[in-house]
Amino acid sequence: MAVERTAAVVIGGFPLGESDRVVTFFTRRFGKVRGVAKAARRMRSKFSGALELFTLGELVFFDGGRSELVQVDHFDIERPFGGIRADLGRLGHAAWMAESVARLTAERDPHPAMFALLSLALAAVDGGASPSRVAVVFGARFVDALGHRLRTDACVLCGRGGVIAGGRAAVDVDAGGTVCPSCAGAVGGTLSVAAATIDALRRVRTARWGDVMALPLGTAERELRAILEAHVTRLAGQGSRAARFLREVSRSLPVSEAP
Amino acid sequence: MAYYPEPVARLIDALQRLPGIGPKTAQRLTFFLLKRPFDEVRELSEALVAVKERIVQCRTCFNVTDEDPCRICADPVRDTGLLCIVEEPNDMLAMERTGEFRGRYHVLGGALSPLDGIGPDDLKVRELLARLDAGRTREVILATNPNVEGEATALYLAKLLRPLGVRITRIARGLPVGGDLEYADQVTLSKALEGRREIG
Ligand SMILES: [Zn+2]
Ligand SMILES: [Zn+2]
Repeated sequence: MAVERTAAVVIGGFPLGESDRVVTFFTRRFGKVRGVAKAARRMRSKFSGALELFTLGELVFFDGGRSELVQVDHFDIERPFGGIRADLGRLGHAAWMAESVARLTAERDPHPAMFALLSLALAAVDGGASPSRVAVVFGARFVDALGHRLRTDACVLCGRGGVIAGGRAAVDVDAGGTVCPSCAGAVGGTLSVAAATIDALRRVRTARWGDVMALPLGTAERELRAILEAHVTRLAGQGSRAARFLREVSRSLPVSEAP
Repeated sequence: MAYYPEPVARLIDALQRLPGIGPKTAQRLTFFLLKRPFDEVRELSEALVAVKERIVQCRTCFNVTDEDPCRICADPVRDTGLLCIVEEPNDMLAMERTGEFRGRYHVLGGALSPLDGIGPDDLKVRELLARLDAGRTREVILATNPNVEGEATALYLAKLLRPLGVRITRIARGLPVGGDLEYADQVTLSKALEGRREIG
């Protein structure tokens, strides 16, 4: 039985049995790991508030090797990211990020760069950056890191250039990028966005974190959200629950920039 | 499971659908029940059916009850100006056990949860607004759980209800009674500090 130690973020979980909890972590050394935290739901549990969503901490677990689930021994809080939970817009967008990671990464598939991206994004939301902006930047870089970067230099269906027509472009997330007007007409169901949105997508992928938070994106941000949400939905095979949550909450309350 | 007689397989299958019960436990419970006296098992099965036949939701507070309105809503001595919001009927029972609260309740039927896609439309929020519209409530006490979902629900309701002009309070969060300060994590401790009040 191996004892492992790694930095980790809580990205999900559900109650198990009388008082245990299954917790999904995204870890620096092992990628996604799911573990059982014994008695975590008791009022006097040794885990106390540590296993709450988005908490960044130091995880110690036992890996018996026989089950997919490891045994959580310790989780010491490094940063609780309490600021995320103090606002429904922050909560919803951060949940969208956590949900995307939980759904689209495989267990025990180490991806330190993705761990760094998630931690950075959560810290930004916690620190008061626009949660919608953080989600867009995170989403664009996350699908790239997964190896599903949308192509934007040519039509992904026929290979021809000239995807911009009349200041607009069509994006087909099923096909994996931009499509020219004639292909868009033929396949249907593409997202029509401003040419500036394609440009914005290129910039949010590569710009330095500090710069990208300050980029004036205007309506491109909303269109980028729509592209990323459609892309992540396609990759996951189902719509995001966090996006649904944000839409529903924003119907009755003003929330920071729902998708 | 082909080697079990059909009624045994059927019971195992039914028990497995209960929360917290896996195949192993379902098997163990099934064989336990097989060994019990007939009367005892009949009583269990009758209790299961009765709970579905006789228990309804109170149309005022959404508590589970065998009469509608429930005893608490129908009690004339209870303070109609105090409304305590809880997630589940069990939370209401826990509050009742304290014997401290003399107001009424509203059971939401859950909590907001972004990761489960649970939004306000999935809870008894519209019904809560309708109740408050009647205008007798002075104070709403948000007694949802002290976790991400419960906090989100309290945050949402506080914002939603603020324009109505009622007093809105949140139950204090913090250290469990009997706990040791040095073992409290930083989140719990900071919540306890936030919820401090004057003494003496
Ligand atoms: Zn084409
Ligand atoms: Zn009632």
